[in-house]
Amino acid sequence: MRISSFCAVIAAVGVLLAGGASLSEELITLRNGLSIDQEAAAPPLPKVENHDKRRVRNFAEQPPTIPHTIRGYEVTRNANKCLSCHSRIQTGESQAPMVSVTHFMDRDNQVLATVSPRRYFCNQCHVVQEDVKPLVNNDFVDVELMLRNSEAPQ
Amino acid sequence: MKLTRRDYIKANAVAVAAGAAGLGKEAEAANLVTDRSRTNLTWSKAACRFCGTGCSVMVGTKDGKVVASHGDVKAEVNRGLNCVKGYFLSKILYGEDRLKTPLLRMKDGQYDKNGDFAPVSWETAFDVMAEKFKEAIRKNGPTAIGMFGSGQWTVWEGYAASKLMKAGFGSNNIEPNARHCMASAVAGFMRTFGIDEPMGCYDDIEATDAFVLWGSNMAEMHPILWTRLTDRRLSAPDTRVAVLSTYEHRCFDLADIPMVFTPQTDLAILNFIANYIIQNDRVNWDFVDQHVNFRRGNTDIGYGLRPEHPLEQKAANADKAGGSQEMTFEEFREFVAEYSLEKVSELSGVPEQQLVELAELYADPDRKVVSFWTMGFNQHTRGVWCNNLIYNIHLLVGKIATPGNSPFSLTGQPSACGTAREVGTFSHRLPADMVVTNPKHRAFAEKVWNIPAGVIPPKPGFHAAQHNRMLKDGKINAYWVQCNNNMQAAANLNEETWPGYRNPEAFIVVSDPYPTVTAGAADLILPTAMWVEKEGAYGNAERRTQFWHQLVKAPGESRSDLWQLVEFSKRFTTDEVWPKEVLSANPAFKGKTLYEVLFRNGSVDRFPLSETSPDYDNDESADFGFYLQKGLFEEYAIFGRDHGHDLAPFERYHEERGLRWPVVDGKETRWRFREGSDPYVGKGKGYEFYGKPDGRAVIFALPYEPPAESPDEEYDLWLCTGRVLEHWHSGSMTQRVPELYKSFPDAVVYMHPKDAESRGLRRGQEIRVVSRRGEIVSRVETRGRNKPPEGLVYVPWFDASQLINKVTLDATDPISKQTDYKKCAVKIVATGRA
Amino acid sequence: MMGLIRKAWGLVVWIWSTASRPARHLSIGFLALGGFFAGVMFWGGFNTALEATNTEAFCISCHEMENNVFQELKTTVHYSNRSGVRASCPDCHVPHDWTDKIARKMQASKEVWGTLFGTIDTREKFLANRRKLAGHEWERLKANNSLECRNCHSPEGMDITVQSVRASTAHQTYLFTGEKTCIDCHKGIAHELPDMTGVPGWQ
Repeated sequence: MRISSFCAVIAAVGVLLAGGASLSEELITLRNGLSIDQEAAAPPLPKVENHDKRRVRNFAEQPPTIPHTIRGYEVTRNANKCLSCHSRIQTGESQAPMVSVTHFMDRDNQVLATVSPRRYFCNQCHVVQEDVKPLVNNDFVDVELMLRNSEAPQ
Repeated sequence: MKLTRRDYIKANAVAVAAGAAGLGKEAEAANLVTDRSRTNLTWSKAACRFCGTGCSVMVGTKDGKVVASHGDVKAEVNRGLNCVKGYFLSKILYGEDRLKTPLLRMKDGQYDKNGDFAPVSWETAFDVMAEKFKEAIRKNGPTAIGMFGSGQWTVWEGYAASKLMKAGFGSNNIEPNARHCMASAVAGFMRTFGIDEPMGCYDDIEATDAFVLWGSNMAEMHPILWTRLTDRRLSAPDTRVAVLSTYEHRCFDLADIPMVFTPQTDLAILNFIANYIIQNDRVNWDFVDQHVNFRRGNTDIGYGLRPEHPLEQKAANADKAGGSQEMTFEEFREFVAEYSLEKVSELSGVPEQQLVELAELYADPDRKVVSFWTMGFNQHTRGVWCNNLIYNIHLLVGKIATPGNSPFSLTGQPSACGTAREVGTFSHRLPADMVVTNPKHRAFAEKVWNIPAGVIPPKPGFHAAQHNRMLKDGKINAYWVQCNNNMQAAANLNEETWPGYRNPEAFIVVSDPYPTVTAGAADLILPTAMWVEKEGAYGNAERRTQFWHQLVKAPGESRSDLWQLVEFSKRFTTDEVWPKEVLSANPAFKGKTLYEVLFRNGSVDRFPLSETSPDYDNDESADFGFYLQKGLFEEYAIFGRDHGHDLAPFERYHEERGLRWPVVDGKETRWRFREGSDPYVGKGKGYEFYGKPDGRAVIFALPYEPPAESPDEEYDLWLCTGRVLEHWHSGSMTQRVPELYKSFPDAVVYMHPKDAESRGLRRGQEIRVVSRRGEIVSRVETRGRNKPPEGLVYVPWFDASQLINKVTLDATDPISKQTDYKKCAVKIVATGRA
Repeated sequence: MMGLIRKAWGLVVWIWSTASRPARHLSIGFLALGGFFAGVMFWGGFNTALEATNTEAFCISCHEMENNVFQELKTTVHYSNRSGVRASCPDCHVPHDWTDKIARKMQASKEVWGTLFGTIDTREKFLANRRKLAGHEWERLKANNSLECRNCHSPEGMDITVQSVRASTAHQTYLFTGEKTCIDCHKGIAHELPDMTGVPGWQ
């Protein structure tokens, strides 16, 4: 497999070379085809994806992204709007997912009575997703799909 | 045939598809794979690739791929936590446009500055590159070549680069991008304490009663330290948090004393606090009498612009910016007396009551206090002064070097401390705080490196901002950029960086995993292995050195920066680069390659391959035939051992979650300069600032001076630039992680709703941000995480499509040469487009 | 000062003595009609004055309101949104029903007092009082079943198919059943929140 991928790289390079092909600065950078000294129009401010549907995580430990808008949601010393739905005792009423059990642990992995203050500012790990197409795709492999799709060992 | 970006991606994708060959079959009937031999992941520790906090992450690999990561529960720094960027680390390796082969600008099969990029072999790439470097040295001497590296280099990469430049090419023109980020902190430490890096450590956070943030948006820039600070504030309700900034940001969500001040007036606020402490008789005389000297710094020192700039012509002490004279406490008292409460409140715009509350946090003898700062202080035309002035305050009350009492400079890059500062990859530095201007230091380095005397030039090379100016002026003709994105990061792109890189007299090489704008502006692009594709070491902001193993292979033909540096050294002989007189005095070195002199030298190559880990690859060592990283590290460690910078033996770092230097008798040091916790402090001394000959730290009298550029009638707004939580620096890694990209896709201009209204602008409208130097097109944002006061706008710099450094001014601190990215004058006008 | 009061008192006495004398030359019809028109004018004037105090411009003429709550409102959906329909201060804070309105206006005299004596004339003082002030509004809205919300947002008018899933679910479960009223969930939607310690639903 390693050899085949190496060949593929050589082949890919070969394709480029054989055609005398070349890539301009504008094409390789993430500037929508514009040179560094030019100015493009700015894309409009996007809208937040607000479909309330859970997204598949890339791997088990990934913090889930927020599937709804959080405009005006206050998380300050005064109040934590996220916990008004996601805290353990609010979830019956809100039917929102409860913050994970790890969030009750302090630095020494002791479980506290309430959510640990080290997890207080939710947006440090959990972020919304704007309704835009990725700039570049990502070839990260989902390990479970990889296992399912690969041959079982003989 | 011209290719499109799509073709380029497609060509890349062939390799990926082949890599995933043999897919398709449903392996087991159940919908869960349970066979333990297959579900097992290999977990290994690594330092996070992003900021200077230095979190440790556990990285899960399977079949040669990184498939998962999480915070390392065993790591003191983060105890199992990561920020959102850290959680997505496993995807930064896999952007679809990873560079996999060297690319050279060519026309008709030949290198051509105006050609387009075509794939070439490493052989060809190094042939062309070596020819260009040799030509530059031949024509204009070793000052005609330059290297711009990084606080993201691993420790040994920085060490190899510094050695190659200074001991190999005989050129001091090597700088790290840490110059943009930490230089003022370094100069501050050297001036006040005579030795670099913080005396305290992160344990101060759990031990203190008060935090003061001076120009540090930790909530976004050092999220894990922020979780520790939040934890302390909320779990110990008497703790206080004071936040000072030129605009409101996320740290204000926790602030007990929130303060927005007029740019540059932090200098006055700092002096007010010193004055307050003296006026209210709160000086800790025991401490001051025994451990402190007073000095008056030179003033009117200019703004680090080009020498012909009117501001430099006008400045009285531009050429002796760092100078100072002795003074008495009495004179110091008189000096700060003019910084009265009324005057400073008026100047800074901070209410008097808040200034007093702030001063009390320092003055109150029963309260421990930690000051944190980052770019608000360091990226400042008086950044070194800011650093000196905050030490003044901590020294006046003796709140220093004890648990919970700590003036603490945070770093922006993962190894700004470990690589850029400790290894000394600056134009004036050598490892372990030594400098090229000191003949003893040069002699020491030449001895450790086993090279003849006189190879290391005594004159400092060009500093970072000068690199681009010298490229433009044709003074640097061959230039190698590794591990950074300086086209996007350096100030004043239009007038300096872009014309510099595209100057026909310059040959630019950029090593990077991804096609950044800097790579786009290069003449040769070298595909580079990143993060856990190589064995590495980083040093974080609390002096903690951390190692990791190579966990996966780099894609295609990419090679690590280390491999590139060492391999390139094979193409030069001493005769081509060293002064004739040095060689005739040392004929044994004649005809040798730099590889033989610098790396195959009996020291770097003394550890055999058999000492590398049997569980992990080590591609560079396998290639060169010896344990390269260990050899470099152990040679480097000679510089610091017994000099206050002791490092532990190499192997130990692969076992530990990092150790804080100096590591003496196997023990790390948490608080320096204090008896009992720092082995270098003499018995009975209590405290000893041993970086200074008399063991005393310095309190500096330094005034408020205005910034290089302020808003006026035409350019009527302050521009402050910076980062956002979701993207790291120029976004070359995080913009390629879809979840991070989608969380904050494009840069915006944060402005006060009234500023928008008075210009007839509305949220979301397309605008131009215009300065005397250039402009960008962006959009108005009047809500969200940042709330600037009227008169100031904030623009993040992560977006390759909105290069805000076209607008910024390349004024620097004249002492540290660090650029001020936080203050220049702009105007905002509508584009008129929808 | 004393002179001014004496003069004003003199005026009042003159008007009263004139007004209390029986009419000698005017017909009853004229008086009735005149009284009617005077009444209309007085009433109109009163209402005009009342309405003048019932505008955003009047509310934010005090710097306490302009600098604190109004600036906070500006970034919220009640001020800036897709269709440009905008709630002004009295829409939420002054009852539309006449008697309640007068009652609220009489309460507001306390706010005039507050302005005169600077109860919240700095940001710090305002923040220190915020929990109390917000508490008053939450109580009022709870007591009147969120009447001012409902002046614009009627449950009958809500098309839950265009609401987000969680909004639609919450409204069907709690609002349409009468189990909760708007303010129970929608605190802090137009202004920043005070310290929410102990507020139900904010555990």
